[in-house]
Amino acid sequence: MKPRACVIVYPGSNCDRDVYYALEKTGFDVRYVGLEDSVNGYDLVVLPGGFSYGDYLRPGAVAARERVSFEVAKVAEKGKLILGICNGFQILIEMGLLEGALLQNSSGKFICKWVDLIVEDVDNPFTNAFRKGEKIRIPIAHGFGRYVKVSDVRVVLRYVDDVNGSDERIAGIVNEGKNIFGLMPHPERAVEDLLGGSDGLKFFESILRYLKG
Amino acid sequence: MPVFKFAVDVQYRSNVRDPRGETIERVLREEKNLPVTKLRLGKSIHLEVEAETREEAREVVRRACEELLVNPVVEEYEVREL
Repeated sequence: MKPRACVIVYPGSNCDRDVYYALEKTGFDVRYVGLEDSVNGYDLVVLPGGFSYGDYLRPGAVAARERVSFEVAKVAEKGKLILGICNGFQILIEMGLLEGALLQNSSGKFICKWVDLIVEDVDNPFTNAFRKGEKIRIPIAHGFGRYVKVSDVRVVLRYVDDVNGSDERIAGIVNEGKNIFGLMPHPERAVEDLLGGSDGLKFFESILRYLKG
Repeated sequence: MPVFKFAVDVQYRSNVRDPRGETIERVLREEKNLPVTKLRLGKSIHLEVEAETREEAREVVRRACEELLVNPVVEEYEVREL
């Protein structure tokens, strides 16, 4: 049986279809869920990129207080896998499921480009298909991606170059229980060579491999 | 029930970089030749709260700040009654 994944569609999410495509292509049984839906019964819950609630107040701040987000916190506590990409990462930070803060890029500019990253940690469900230290290339597209570190965190992804002023060039972190992963780059936009690259596929393959044990 | 009016002033903590503030400061200094040496851009959020007493109203504002309006990891705030 295929592992089950759901993609939460918040008002203002705009990478939901891309990540749906990537998950389906990898071999997941995928569903969209809305604000009033349940996230129970899925092996993986994805919070996609976009601009939930127009980034009002702070990116992710309003979405983090939605009922469906509390449901996410509940299944996360049970050990289910949670993946937050870009705005999804911002939401996880606002929920307090991941530590730190994501603030405006140090340049003050929205940055949309392909970047080189180093996979620093492969001992988790989200990057086990990579080699430790592997260099990969996937796109970023964010105005508020400057990671501010306030505690020791488990770094999974690091930018090769300082693209946005993030502390220690951090691009993605996993929680202590290793079931909640947040990253600013967009792996779902790098799943077809025709569209520039496919290094992003391995994230979804890692999750699949982990779930199939 | 009486209505109380408040302003919540939110600022980044002093050790947190503020690229918008830095840009505005630079323009005032370099383009407008004004002797501005520091500028921090925050938010001012105005609220009206229905409550029996001023203390109750202040408590509502405090909860609003802690539960949504302010991110204590990087921000601090002050409440003013208007």
